Amino acid sequence: MRTRKTLCLLLAVPLVVAGCGGSSGSGSTDDEASTPRRGGELTVLLDASFAGAWPTGLDPATNTTGGANLTQMSAIYGGLFRLVADDDGSNAKVVPHQAESYEFADGGRTLRIKIKPGIKFTDGTPFDAAAVAFNFERDMKSTCTCRPQWPLAEGGISTEGNDTVVLKFTRPNGAAVNSMVVSNVNWIASPTALKTMGEDKFKITPVGAGPFKVVSNKLSSELVLERNPDYFVPGRPYLDKLIVKSVGDDQPAYQALLAGQGDAYEGMTTTPLIEQAQANPRLVVTQQPATSPYLIQLNTKIPPFNNKLAREAIYYATNVEAIKKGLFKDWYPVSQTFTAPGGLFHHPTVPGYRTYDLEKAKQIVQQLGGLTVDLGTLSAYVADQVNTALKTQWEQAGIKVTIHSEQLNGLIQNFNSGKWQAMLQTAGAWDPAAGVGVGFRFHSGVPFSGVADPKLDSLLDQAAAEIDPAKRDQLYQQAGKLISDEAYGPFILAFAPANVVVKGVHGPGLTTKIPPVVVNTGIIWDEVWKSNP
Amino acid sequence: MLGSPSLRLVGKRLLMAVPIVLGVSILTFWVLNLIPGNAAQQLLGPEASPDQIQQLEEEMGLNRPQVVRYLDWLGGAVHGDLGTSLVSRQPVTDELGPRLAVSGEVVGLAFLISLGLAIPVSLLAARWPNRMLDRISMVVSTTGLSVANYVFALLLVLLFAVQLAWFPAIGYTPLSESVTGNLRSLALPAIAIAFPLFCFYTRFLRSDLVDQMQGEDYIMTARAKGIGPWQVLLRHAFRNSAFGLITIVGLNLSTLIGATVIIEQIFALPGIGQMLLQAINTRDFIVVQACVIVFAIITVLANLLADLLYAVLDPRIRYGSN
Repeated sequence: MRTRKTLCLLLAVPLVVAGCGGSSGSGSTDDEASTPRRGGELTVLLDASFAGAWPTGLDPATNTTGGANLTQMSAIYGGLFRLVADDDGSNAKVVPHQAESYEFADGGRTLRIKIKPGIKFTDGTPFDAAAVAFNFERDMKSTCTCRPQWPLAEGGISTEGNDTVVLKFTRPNGAAVNSMVVSNVNWIASPTALKTMGEDKFKITPVGAGPFKVVSNKLSSELVLERNPDYFVPGRPYLDKLIVKSVGDDQPAYQALLAGQGDAYEGMTTTPLIEQAQANPRLVVTQQPATSPYLIQLNTKIPPFNNKLAREAIYYATNVEAIKKGLFKDWYPVSQTFTAPGGLFHHPTVPGYRTYDLEKAKQIVQQLGGLTVDLGTLSAYVADQVNTALKTQWEQAGIKVTIHSEQLNGLIQNFNSGKWQAMLQTAGAWDPAAGVGVGFRFHSGVPFSGVADPKLDSLLDQAAAEIDPAKRDQLYQQAGKLISDEAYGPFILAFAPANVVVKGVHGPGLTTKIPPVVVNTGIIWDEVWKSNP
Repeated sequence: MLGSPSLRLVGKRLLMAVPIVLGVSILTFWVLNLIPGNAAQQLLGPEASPDQIQQLEEEMGLNRPQVVRYLDWLGGAVHGDLGTSLVSRQPVTDELGPRLAVSGEVVGLAFLISLGLAIPVSLLAARWPNRMLDRISMVVSTTGLSVANYVFALLLVLLFAVQLAWFPAIGYTPLSESVTGNLRSLALPAIAIAFPLFCFYTRFLRSDLVDQMQGEDYIMTARAKGIGPWQVLLRHAFRNSAFGLITIVGLNLSTLIGATVIIEQIFALPGIGQMLLQAINTRDFIVVQACVIVFAIITVLANLLADLLYAVLDPRIRYGSN
């Protein structure tokens, strides 16, 4: 992976020379009519190491990579809810889609979801409350970690009539709906098709009620979808055919776009290529609003970071502004807490946050009699770049640093061993309680957290349970302040990948901004269209 | 017929292949079990608790002793059942067939291109050593050997797919859909694999031919008989040099298969290389095991073919005959 990323940089120069100059298409579409047109086929390319990997198939109950496969899953299943935003990414909110409406009762202990009437799965069977409840029950019984993390009461899934599903929780669960858009429970499979086909066949050719239906599926390679003529939204989807192709990396994907073998590429992270794509008049680049800032996780359970002074040294030795300007040309916003501008409850600064102060860092290191740190990360272009910069900065303060990046398995083992010292990771999500949210990095009950602070646990639990957004905001601010005061881990900048399309392709999430719920943006595929189908 | 030396050779080699393939399967199984993490952990992801991982390991049978799992797999493999993918739960044999066809096509084309170019270029270079063509071939082959094939692959895409739009940058068109489409989709991956091979074969064959032409008595004799220089080169020197080339081509096959892993990823080809890489990433040991065994069998068969070609080229070589 590293070799290929290096290669991207090597090839950056010849690609520019190869005639890709011109003005940026960033964030805007072409001059053609803005009225959507029906028809045409679109090929979307996905990175084989993330969104383009669906090794366990596309059954919501067993797809362990569902959070990455938003395109495949939402194209087939649609979704009970979806995240929408204004074209510039502002005012993002979760809205009912196949659901008609929802309401919390009992102070957040009960959630009633009303299903839109008249929806049918592509096998012709009804998409009703019974089908949704069947899916919820099945998801809860799954051994997959993709199953919902609901604090469900005994017999907590029931139906009221044909159109309402009722969820009863043991405690208030205010983030239940916001979390749903990044959870497999959002995607409802046809119970009849499941029974007829059996699970093993269903995961290859699944049946949902989304805008497209499956024509063929080669796992982690190619998924061919065709328009669902009975889709419940009149006139949608606009496209006749959607082809999802898995490609090796940003570089081959970029070249494939230039060669006309793809119409869109989701989740470009290699910054030199994003820059090139922006300079190419044939392409439109949409940098998505960031929701998950990078954080230097410090393991406060073992030396050296069980000592608050050592943690403070890291805060003072980290020059975030230099990283932001030097490595990323001011593209990405700095954050002092687990929220980012694209997400909910964001406040850019935290009172009393320790910022870069080399002299203070040097003093503390001296006071400690030296500081040696092992800093790891998950192998990725941006993370590797930041880690290298951190090593250089920390060494200026007299800290001895070793850095390493690992694949997911190695990283998990490292966390599970409990012997890790520092890790560069992302924290938070669009809603801090959703998916790999803030608790994942800071709650004492999670193996991937380096913190065990009952006060922080309580704040995070209360914030996730609360249904009043204003109260949630207050609680998250208090949690951010506590993390900062205790120096549990400095935040760096909030990075979000870019979506790149060829000119003439339009659609929410592709050519407009929608905050990524966790890592990638949920594109609204039934509204994607081509100027020249 | 049964007493034919060639048949005896085939029989002997096939018998030798059994312990080789068995050895490869044992070694692969053992090495795969040394790699940190397993399919259960990979499938469940970072949020999984140790209890969840253990439960899935039990469901998948990963908690059984290695020997038991290996013998189970072997029992199925000898009956043509390479097991069920730990990740997708699909039969591996069903998945391997179409992917093997894609990789087979790429590798076959790469062989044709590399040998089809290396042989005439080497002959021309050896016919007029140290002249312009010879020097150009040396420069090209040295350059080709210095550039990794994935770099070359991306440059090919840049030139022939992005700039000239002659070939697709990614994707595969099945032969059943369109013959020209199929060849176009495989052209760049095959060239990317073939180019380093062409360079290697050219360097090897050219220098062997020049050695033969300049120093061997039988060449002097042929010349003394008044045989023309092209005939000496083709009928005498090349026939002799072909033995070395066949050996190298046979040995190269494993390198070639390795190259497909990277090239299929770059060109998004649904071949066995792509399947192997995905399986490694998800710790799907059953699929990895199947891919490695298939590679081993192909390598053994290719070397058997090389042995048979020796016998075809030289009547004196009759293994086991008088």
